[in-house]
Amino acid sequence: MTYDKPLPDTSDGSAPFWEGCAQHELRIQECSACGHRRWPIGPVCTACLSPEHTWVTLPGTGEVWSWIVYHQSFNKAWEPDLPYNVALIKVDGAHTMISNLVDVEPDAVHVGQRVEVVFEDATDEISIPKFRPVS
Amino acid sequence: MGKRPGTTALGLGLDALSLAIADAGIDKSEIDGILTHPGTTSREGANHYLRLAEAAGIDPRYAGSKSMGGATAGALVQEAIMAIDAGLATTVACVFGDAALTGGQRFNSPNGDPGLSWGIWGMFGPQANSALGARRHMSLYGTTSEQLGAISVTFREHAQLSPDAVMYGKPISLEDHQSSRWVVEPFHLLDCCLISDGGVAIIVSSAERARDLAKPPVHVAGMGQGYTARKSEAEDWWYLPHQKAVLDEAWAMSGLGPSDIDVAELYDNFTFSVLLWLEHGGFVERGESGAFVAEGNLKLGSTLPTNTHGGSLSDAYMQGWTHIVEGVRQIRGEAGPRQVPGAETCLTTGRGMALNTANALVLTK
Repeated sequence: MTYDKPLPDTSDGSAPFWEGCAQHELRIQECSACGHRRWPIGPVCTACLSPEHTWVTLPGTGEVWSWIVYHQSFNKAWEPDLPYNVALIKVDGAHTMISNLVDVEPDAVHVGQRVEVVFEDATDEISIPKFRPVS
Repeated sequence: MGKRPGTTALGLGLDALSLAIADAGIDKSEIDGILTHPGTTSREGANHYLRLAEAAGIDPRYAGSKSMGGATAGALVQEAIMAIDAGLATTVACVFGDAALTGGQRFNSPNGDPGLSWGIWGMFGPQANSALGARRHMSLYGTTSEQLGAISVTFREHAQLSPDAVMYGKPISLEDHQSSRWVVEPFHLLDCCLISDGGVAIIVSSAERARDLAKPPVHVAGMGQGYTARKSEAEDWWYLPHQKAVLDEAWAMSGLGPSDIDVAELYDNFTFSVLLWLEHGGFVERGESGAFVAEGNLKLGSTLPTNTHGGSLSDAYMQGWTHIVEGVRQIRGEAGPRQVPGAETCLTTGRGMALNTANALVLTK
């Protein structure tokens, strides 16, 4: 079965992030000069502008900052999933990131809910980080 | 404004420019500055100002285009003021046109970089950002969908007093709001602005020059602009801290504050946007805006008559441009049945680009 939803164009510098995801690791750039972790992926540190950085692996836990439920189709490939959620996750040790919540009904979600990353293997190369509740 | 088949973004902008020139009582040759906002269906991109000036037969001394979404109108008026203050122009036309409705604009693109496009997670269109903020506001402060609905119903009531409004003759009830379909929950269809064709032009000149023109001058007593460019790294991005900075700046420059405002025209791409303006402007405390709007305080004749033309929710979606036009009409006393009696001060606001751009103008008599 082919995956027809939007996939990342990893030619923009995001390849190390997606290589981490393929190994089911959530990674983020950490500045070698000042230690600041930046998000989204960028060529220089958002705190000190240094380009030197390493990719560190995050524990993959976090909390629900907010979430919404799509009922209207904005994109053909996502249409069969309606209604589906999009969530803003405050990732531990990092920042907020857009993702989806899995293994939970929308009515059971609440702000502040603890979650952990899981990876959806979309293609041989791309695994997409999503989050599921933890008790 | 409304549904204008056969029009183009360029043509609509030029129609508006002609009307504004006539309204000001000037000759086209007096316009020496052209600032434009390319519509979503404009094809000229960053060169839009050149094409529009060419089509209008104007060789400006000062020109440019800005794309800041719903904050563009205010940003261009501010730039016009700066250009005039700096002596680079005397009379600046700020112009917008868009055939978004008949031109097939779907407002369905995702944000984010190619490698981290939010579309990877199914997040498309402008509703999502505001809906995320609305949900968090609801969770933290107990704000409800019915309170958002009160905004929608109030602005629709105001549109019944404006024959030019797209939703003139189509009043709604709170029940209509609640039973309208979900678009992106927690937003119902009636939490979302219209999609419209139309054009708007605003002519800016010095106070001294404006005194001699056809219509009473409207002054800009204060202004501010600000940006939260960081989305993910600013954990309160959803609350739009730049909006507070914008309004603090506008209050300080004008020497006025929320209690001095007679009428407000607040950017309302979605109902929730109005709540944040009220909190950031100091009209209410953080978290109290939901109750404030549900009490009817935004209605004509009440505490803070807001979006007297119907706003983007019921007048037309002109990316915030008509909010400034309505502010001008209110200060001039031209608003007819929806006129706020004796209005001498008006706050107008705009915001755009996935929430990141914002500005405000304090208009006075």
